[in-house]
Amino acid sequence: MYDDAQDALAAEYVLGTLSADEREHAEALMSLDPGFAASVKQWERRLGELNVMVEAIEPPPEVWDKIKAQLGASAPVPQSPAAASGLAFSEPPAEPPPAALPDAPAQELPLLLAGEPGEDAIAVPPPPEPAPAEAATDELPHGLSDSITASLAKSLAEPPPPTEAVDRPMVLPAVEPRIERSANVVQLQRRVSRWRRMTVLMGAIAALLALYVGVAQFAPGLIPLGPRSGPVVAQAPGSAPLGARLVAALNQEPTAPAFLLTVDPQRRTMVVRRVSATAEPGKSYELWLIASQFPAPRSLGVIGADEFTERAIPGNFDLATLRAATYAVSLEPPGGSPSGAPTGPVLFTGKVVESVPTAPRT
Amino acid sequence: MLMQAELVWLIGAVANGDQAAFERLYAATRAKLYGVLLRILGKPELAEEVMQETYLKVWKMAHTFDPTLASPITWMVAMARNRAIDIVRRRSEVSIEDEPEAQNVAAESAPPLARREMTEELKRLLACLGKLDPEKQRIVLLAYYSGWSREQLSTKLDIPVNTIKTWLRRSLLEIRECMGR
Repeated sequence: MYDDAQDALAAEYVLGTLSADEREHAEALMSLDPGFAASVKQWERRLGELNVMVEAIEPPPEVWDKIKAQLGASAPVPQSPAAASGLAFSEPPAEPPPAALPDAPAQELPLLLAGEPGEDAIAVPPPPEPAPAEAATDELPHGLSDSITASLAKSLAEPPPPTEAVDRPMVLPAVEPRIERSANVVQLQRRVSRWRRMTVLMGAIAALLALYVGVAQFAPGLIPLGPRSGPVVAQAPGSAPLGARLVAALNQEPTAPAFLLTVDPQRRTMVVRRVSATAEPGKSYELWLIASQFPAPRSLGVIGADEFTERAIPGNFDLATLRAATYAVSLEPPGGSPSGAPTGPVLFTGKVVESVPTAPRT
Repeated sequence: MLMQAELVWLIGAVANGDQAAFERLYAATRAKLYGVLLRILGKPELAEEVMQETYLKVWKMAHTFDPTLASPITWMVAMARNRAIDIVRRRSEVSIEDEPEAQNVAAESAPPLARREMTEELKRLLACLGKLDPEKQRIVLLAYYSGWSREQLSTKLDIPVNTIKTWLRRSLLEIRECMGR
């Protein structure tokens, strides 16, 4: 059985034309769906032949020195789950926050999952930011077969158009929040199975990020921060009208997140708040953490039937891992997956976004 | 240039922690990967950074390499490309001052690849590509080689983004059918 839509998604992922959000979802899907992962590998093999055409260019010798220097820190053997917390090969963050966040424990790190809104979401594309055009490099390698080269050669001498700026995460400007505690909130939204809808709805995420940031700062009661602490107090002088507008817009949004996940890395607890997810009789929702250093998703436990589920975070994940991970919710038999891996459909996914600066933006 | 079988052997040795094998693997593959990365990223510093990340990942994940699923170079380039594309899809500004460097790099690139140097698989792929309309060939190749986004392709061809999406999808599926799963 061949799902063309999913195969096309895998193909576009390998080709590189998915947006950043779509790529995150494809990567989450690869972790959770071996069939999709296999499709991706197939496309890498098919398209990978094109690499033969690329001109080889010698890198500077210092590159090897730097690689060699880091060999001792990373083990070349498979990581056992017990060693997960320590030895992780630390990848630089793929999404540098626009405001540099110092790694102080007292900072607020609301994490927003860039999951997909439901089918009714309004597609609001992120505003493109004009950027200077990139250099007029040779856009295609030499030596492509004549028929292709002839039709391409002339027009490809021009520089590529400016890249569209997708600001991730979106941050409200000129806000100086006073952060009371560190908490990470993750918003899980419904993932649709058809890639067509995925590409349309991805555009709405940027708008939702802005809405979410607004909520965190101006209507903290909507965000679960755990029973032991008070809400985040955000002082935003002169921004009250902005806050009111954002809160209202959130209420009018036709789709609400299915779950809101708050992670407190200091106390090592998490709270899952059921928002719009429907109760599924005879099934359990299970929460998973997907991180590049683990070969398989790690269960964070079954989500309870109450509105709030609070528990200690299982395992020894460090802050960097919790921040960089993708979170997913699958539908499992009662009591959770019997196998330790997701067995049911993955319904919601999302990632952490740091969206509240602790210092005023200059 | 090392033969495929040698590269497979080297990766196997790397999986056992053999640093000498890793150095030989690096020596055999670095120029190809760097060429791919420079073409997509444009800036040598970024390309160097992704080179480091990729080779460290190779060092760490060598045990996961399955020679029945991919050739060593394809496996490694896929890792490098994925990271490079992640970066270009997320970056929100292009710095102008580095561009002259990128241009110089392109000018020093190697001479064209002769037809006889092409692998059979590559010839087949190019034949399948050749069956597409010229514009569709362009967007597929620009996306793969230069890492262009749908938006950039749309601007370049003066075609709506949604049409680009549709064209890409159709073209890719046609390539799949042509190459015979």
